[in-house]
Amino acid sequence: MASVVSFNNVSKHYTRGKQSVAVLEHFDLEIDDGEFVAIMGPSGSGKTTLLNLIGGLDRPSSGQVTVAGERLDQLSGSGLSRWRARHVGFIFQFYNLLPTLSAERNVELPLLLTSLSGAERRRKVTAALGLVGLADRAKHKPGELSGGQQQRVAIARALIADPTILICDEPTGDLDRHTAEEILGLLQTLNRQYGKTIIMVTHDPKAASYASRQLQVDKGQLVDGSAKAVA
Amino acid sequence: MKYLPLLWSGIWRKPGRTALVLLQVAVAFALFGVLQGMKTGVDRAVAKTRADLLIVTPADFGGAPLPLSYLDRLRSIPGMQSVDFADGFLGTYQKPTQPVFVLAIQPSQLWVTLVPEMFQVLPKDLDALKNTRDGALITADIGKKYGWHVGDRIPLTSTTLQSDGSGTWSFQIVGTFTDHEPGEAGFIVGNYDYLDQARALNKGTVRNFYAIIADPKRAAEMSDTIDRAFGNSSNETKTGSLRELAQQQMRAIGDLNFLIRSVVGAVLVALLFSITTIMMQTIRERTPEFAVLKTLGFGDRPIFLLVVGECLLICIAAALTGLALATGVFPYAGKFVPGLSMPLSVVGFGLIGAVLVALITAVPPALRAARLEVVDALAGR
Repeated sequence: MASVVSFNNVSKHYTRGKQSVAVLEHFDLEIDDGEFVAIMGPSGSGKTTLLNLIGGLDRPSSGQVTVAGERLDQLSGSGLSRWRARHVGFIFQFYNLLPTLSAERNVELPLLLTSLSGAERRRKVTAALGLVGLADRAKHKPGELSGGQQQRVAIARALIADPTILICDEPTGDLDRHTAEEILGLLQTLNRQYGKTIIMVTHDPKAASYASRQLQVDKGQLVDGSAKAVA
Repeated sequence: MKYLPLLWSGIWRKPGRTALVLLQVAVAFALFGVLQGMKTGVDRAVAKTRADLLIVTPADFGGAPLPLSYLDRLRSIPGMQSVDFADGFLGTYQKPTQPVFVLAIQPSQLWVTLVPEMFQVLPKDLDALKNTRDGALITADIGKKYGWHVGDRIPLTSTTLQSDGSGTWSFQIVGTFTDHEPGEAGFIVGNYDYLDQARALNKGTVRNFYAIIADPKRAAEMSDTIDRAFGNSSNETKTGSLRELAQQQMRAIGDLNFLIRSVVGAVLVALLFSITTIMMQTIRERTPEFAVLKTLGFGDRPIFLLVVGECLLICIAAALTGLALATGVFPYAGKFVPGLSMPLSVVGFGLIGAVLVALITAVPPALRAARLEVVDALAGR
């Protein structure tokens, strides 16, 4: 299967005051198209930095990052923005919906960057909300929805532009166990039935078990990248 | 248009704050509208006054009236089209607190065509005045005020005494005229001959001459010519066009331009600081939201334009409200200058001002939002 994410000798350093802090060191990684990968590791291990580099939110200090066929380390800021709009759907721990917009308007946001007509955008929004089981909550604002429903809206927003990969940062971290399982089940369905490549950071082994592969990151290094889940 | 819901939601994120900003901008532009409208209206009103009508008065304010014999000399000045005159005296009706000015003219059609600005009168009323030596024309307002009707005889008391020593002047109301300033129930029109023949002093004199010149552009030159013609006489003149008179009156109020520019300038500067501060605060509060938009693929430019768009919408909507308010209250503010109406150009300038205010105030917060580092913003740094 083709590789959708490829890290070649990637390092990422941050400058804190006068000190340079290495977050990732000589990191190599390959993720195939259609995989559901869980990235685990202790706090400060570099999981979120890894996710940011895959999602084109940040650039490496050195090394090559190739995602969806594009060398992200060579793209400009605006180039990364355009690339993200085309290839990545983001799902956050705290949903990150715009509180003043209705569910359907939140889901529509990525489509505003396309040339789709209003009617086409509405059709896609209806379909995406239907896919996550929230067609009847389209007009509700985030404050009128439960945590699980908000995360479903966020998933619909992440899916709406049909991205190459879905990036999930602790997507169930703010949900109760039952709702978390619903969300994870939904992600698994998206992966298995629709072939979406999903890369998920989580602390929760139970959540990680929904993935087809688990990566263990510690101190900026890939400790184990072969563990297969049994969900 | 597809960004409108996003803009709208941003604007009404904090409805109370947005309402206050709207109110602030609306009040500022209402003030701008009224003041600038007054200035433009006054300028236009002055510009509309006749430059071809010269008013010849005694050189010394309150000095001796001018001899009637000046009439022929004025008519003989080259460039003069027509000349007439008017005199008058101040009287009171029944009690000293009810003043009535009597404008004394020769009731000819010339007067009506000479200065239609002063009053409009029907030929039959003018004829009635001409045919009645002690006749008088009144306005509907003064008739209503004192209960006068055509056919009534009214006594006026004045310090302008008659030859017999009496200060009481009797007038027969023979018709009506329309005052050019309705509501100013202040004067009636009588015969000059009646006044001149009956009065004890200043016989054969008039207060003002009214001269229409052929070329309005030569008003200043003609005024000088007239004043020179009667210079070094016992009755020197001071001549100026009606427009010049209006300009002098406006100057007497004060430097309106400076006043208006100062007030409007101070208000706009205060507005710029205030809105910029509020917008900066708003953008700081919305950092996570802009970070999410950037994560979704919104580049620096769309984010910059979103913030500018919000500011533009607020400022233009508020300015329109303020200018509409100004247009609404303008007739009341314009009472001081008759015939004043809100010029459309003021609304146009107001909207241009609103756009400038929006652009200036939006740039710092818009740049801040556009330059946001997504990773830091998402991490709450």
